[in-house]
Amino acid sequence: MTDYKISAKGVQVYYGDNHAIKDVDVQIEDKTVTAFIGPSGCGKSTFLRTLNRMNDTIDICRVEGDIRIDGEDIYDPAVDPVQLRAKVGMVFQKPNPFPKSIYDNVAYGPKIHGLARNKSDLDEIVEKSLRKAALWNEAKDRLDAPGTGLSGGQQQRLCIARAIATAPEVLLMDEPCSALDPIATAQVEELIDELRQSYSVVIVTHSMQQAARVSQKTAFFHLGNLVEYGETDKIFTNPEDPRTESYISGRIG
Amino acid sequence: MNEHISSAYDRDLEKIQALIMKMGGLVEHAILEGAKALEARDIEAAEVVRKADKIIDALEEEINEEAARTIALRAPVSKDLRTLLSVLKLASSLERVGDYAKNMAKRTSVLAEMKPINGTDAALRRMGKEVQAMLRDVLDAYVRSDVDLAENVRQRDLEVDQMYNALFREFLTFMMEDPRNITACMHMHFIAKNVERMGDLVTNMAEQVIYMVTGEMPDEDRPKGDKTSSMLTE
Repeated sequence: MTDYKISAKGVQVYYGDNHAIKDVDVQIEDKTVTAFIGPSGCGKSTFLRTLNRMNDTIDICRVEGDIRIDGEDIYDPAVDPVQLRAKVGMVFQKPNPFPKSIYDNVAYGPKIHGLARNKSDLDEIVEKSLRKAALWNEAKDRLDAPGTGLSGGQQQRLCIARAIATAPEVLLMDEPCSALDPIATAQVEELIDELRQSYSVVIVTHSMQQAARVSQKTAFFHLGNLVEYGETDKIFTNPEDPRTESYISGRIG
Repeated sequence: MNEHISSAYDRDLEKIQALIMKMGGLVEHAILEGAKALEARDIEAAEVVRKADKIIDALEEEINEEAARTIALRAPVSKDLRTLLSVLKLASSLERVGDYAKNMAKRTSVLAEMKPINGTDAALRRMGKEVQAMLRDVLDAYVRSDVDLAENVRQRDLEVDQMYNALFREFLTFMMEDPRNITACMHMHFIAKNVERMGDLVTNMAEQVIYMVTGEMPDEDRPKGDKTSSMLTE
């Protein structure tokens, strides 16, 4: 049987009267990069945000349906959203490092979640995370420098290091490369491919080529519906649904 | 299929499609005129067919360049990509068919010096006519994305193969009857074999159209009728 990390059934999301996600079922695999694609306003980011309950912070937002990670209902009242977000990390569109040192940016999460018993534990987590984020070599001699002083691509990799420092199992990325140049984009994409060894990565992207390059599974959203979900190869060579074909080939849907 | 948001992309694809149709038309013409010139032993008409092959070759070059440019600039996916990949293969098949027509015209000038072999000219013209009809239909199938028509063309290659088998036997007979027929029969046989190969290439084009539309190559075996590889003289 396939190893499903995230299992969503009959998910509905409403912003007030606006029905933003309509009855979405999806099974996301572990150690796989899954890309969400679709035009603006199709619900892909909204759906991504249901996976670590980021929508909880929006008052008018209502989520229905069943979302399970490792079989556990993440909307169960007993679940602490803060703990959940440590397990389901997130990287945003614009690099948003804390106005702190590079070291503290990475160390913050493990500190508040009590993942380090002492300073040397913490040092180790910081180094490991920066190495995984392919930033260690560039940052090791300036760990006390402010994170905001790094270049855009480095800042985004710092945010990825920060997200993986709490040892998450799932990494959600909302257009992580949209503010980066092609070289920084290639570095982040390379990193995403490496992260796949340890995590389930879900990435929202407007770049179809990026989805094709980094993901193994692709989900196409349109008007709040999950239109098609399958192997990335298949979606980009011979999709089943004419709406998917129209969208990926740059036609009006 | 809807239009692309970028209308320049549609114009690029339409331009390539127009080039394929132009090339296809010229090749059809070359087959018909080549077979006619052969039957009439008309050296001048054959020369026109030979010269026209240069235009066909130039069109293939142009299609290759346009397709490469569109792939580089537009990063096509899915059906657009399949269309461009198919266009490259269609152009290459058309170029080969054009070469065979040119070869028929070349041999015409040699054959004009010899006594015709009873009835075989007309049989070759019929074979050429059938291949030209298949080519016309495969180009229609390409423009209309018509899988059924492409499949129909694919099945019709059997008839061309059977015509070739019959001619092959006739040439053998004529050569055994009178060794002075051998030179003409050898040339005529090469022409027949080349027309049979044209049929195979048109069949490949039909398969390419099916791939372009459905994303899958037809896998079931099509009927194959060239039995000459195991024919003996009795």
